[in-house]
Amino acid sequence: MTKDQFLLEMDNILELPAGTLRGNEKLEELNNWDSTALITLIVLAESNNNVRINPSQIVNCFTVADLVKLAGVKESSS
Amino acid sequence: MLPTAAVEIIRNRSALKKELVKRSNLVPTRIAILGGSTTVEVKNMLELFLLAQGIQPTFYESGYNRYSEDVLYENPELWKFKPEIVFIHTTWQNVLEYPEVLEDTSRVEDRVRGEMTRFQSVWEKIRSELGAVIIQNNFDLPRLRPLGNLEAAQSFGRVNFLLRLNSEVASYARSHSLFHINDILYLSAEVGLNAWLDQNYWYNFHMALSPTATVALARNVAGIIKSIYGKSKKCLVLDLDNTLWGGVIGDDGVQNLLLGRDHAVGEAFLDFQRYVKNLQRRGIILAVCSKNDLENAKEGFSHPDSVLKLEDFSAFKANWNAKPENIQEIAAELNIGLDSIVFVDDNPAERSLVAEQLTEVAVPDVGPDVTVFAEVLERERYFEVEKVVADDLNRSAFYSSNAQRSANQGAFANYGEFLASLDMSAEIGPFCPVYLERITQLINKTNQFNLTARRYTSAEVEAISRDAAYITLYGRLADRFGDNGLVSVLIGRIVDQRVELDTWLMSCRVLKREFELAMFDALAEQCQARGIHKIVGVYIPSKKNGMVVEHYANVGFTSAGKAPEGGDLWHYDVPSNYSPKTRHIYRVTEALTAAR
Repeated sequence: MTKDQFLLEMDNILELPAGTLRGNEKLEELNNWDSTALITLIVLAESNNNVRINPSQIVNCFTVADLVKLAGVKESSS
Repeated sequence: MLPTAAVEIIRNRSALKKELVKRSNLVPTRIAILGGSTTVEVKNMLELFLLAQGIQPTFYESGYNRYSEDVLYENPELWKFKPEIVFIHTTWQNVLEYPEVLEDTSRVEDRVRGEMTRFQSVWEKIRSELGAVIIQNNFDLPRLRPLGNLEAAQSFGRVNFLLRLNSEVASYARSHSLFHINDILYLSAEVGLNAWLDQNYWYNFHMALSPTATVALARNVAGIIKSIYGKSKKCLVLDLDNTLWGGVIGDDGVQNLLLGRDHAVGEAFLDFQRYVKNLQRRGIILAVCSKNDLENAKEGFSHPDSVLKLEDFSAFKANWNAKPENIQEIAAELNIGLDSIVFVDDNPAERSLVAEQLTEVAVPDVGPDVTVFAEVLERERYFEVEKVVADDLNRSAFYSSNAQRSANQGAFANYGEFLASLDMSAEIGPFCPVYLERITQLINKTNQFNLTARRYTSAEVEAISRDAAYITLYGRLADRFGDNGLVSVLIGRIVDQRVELDTWLMSCRVLKREFELAMFDALAEQCQARGIHKIVGVYIPSKKNGMVVEHYANVGFTSAGKAPEGGDLWHYDVPSNYSPKTRHIYRVTEALTAAR
């Protein structure tokens, strides 16, 4: 999964119009960032990228870009 | 229909919910989820599966692991919420006292009784104080087995202990109505124990089930709730070639069909036939819808290994017409709604056509491989039932004898003569415990001959049956072709010396038999016995009950304008010299099965 695809997934999880998230958004400022969104993200990271995220790692994430890195997403956007 | 893959459901939950809430005629319900672990995801997924079944839930959630406290200490919020259904989501982690190693059997049994007493105190309080239907998880098994295989063999082993508890929970379910087991012992095996519980989610969120297992759980609970609301399917419509047997009967001939133990594929078709036969035996109506010449199609069932026989099918359409057209005819012939039908066909083009043109018909994507047909039907929980009642077992016979009645009708000069020839007798009486399950089933699934289309849970029907402020009547009808079973229900509320008809419904399989008049005669008798002289009828139009718009006028009511809550009001003054309206139905006082 590319970074752009991951951001689109995050848009979907957070019920935002496709293309809203760019990466620099602060998680605490996102309306629908809650435990359900977090669990969905963990499930997708595991099923799409085969990356197992421990929720305690997410405590250290402050922006969407931090999540991108944690989810094992490739930086290139092609 | 929701996607099959759990991950797709989790991923698209919000979008799916947005689409599903747009549907009309959703049935509202109040569900309390009392959790022994975190329940947010359970609630989210259950909401989705219920919406997909046409049920719109409102939820109450207990605090974490407060499933017993909320009930035993009467949490005011829960009491104010007045749940119709309480789902107790507990797992093996909620057992408080596991046996010690080498503990003797009698001490282990004490522990079984202790756990059961603890759970029963919660169930009994829900039953007596909240009057709600209970859905209780039985117990799954832990992944870790410190005693290895001795866990299963020894009475002090946890596996053995949990299975003992499950046996006791099942025993309680058998002896108490309004209590349903959500079988997570089976579900955890279906999902696989390693995928069922994920320590990552347990330690971080106290979720007793992984997210994907939660999807399986929600699907199953929604299946139970669907059955409580009478929304389970009634009829399985089947294609023939490469669906019930391998090969094309018209081309290959009956002798060359793949069916039977001699061939791997033939064995798979045989097993699918056995599965279908089992559905038929427990009351699912079967019908054939096949592109074939009629005689060829019928010949297929003469195959020596065919478990299904022609007489197992209540409707049989084998011709070259479009399948949506044939399915509509089947629904009309059987007097059932299209939303009661599941259609199975190996041909994707036929499935697509039916799904597109008959959106109410369930068309599972069974694919071309017969080995998975039954699994797909199982997964969707189409035919989940609260209980199997005797009338279910006779359902195919009802429909077959209806065909005989229709054939017989042509031999009479007029309809009255035909009715007289049926030699009909009716058993009509107040609701009694033995019939409550069937009465609830009928209330929740009768759409057409249903004056108000009000739905009640089993708990509500039981409460009404005990309430002296109500006149309740059930009706069974038999004739010379067979017993039609319990086919009509009437509920009247007594208010200020008059009876207001809350519910009046009748199964379409006894339409035009004057049975509605027999029910009315019984109601009039009840009114006279109680000194009541006025009956108020209400007709609340729904999408499907147009056939009874003139019902009250036909029985002799006079129009009384609009009801304040919507619908039409009708009045009937019961004369002191009331004479029965039915001419062709003989009323019996003893149980009908004994009378005939």
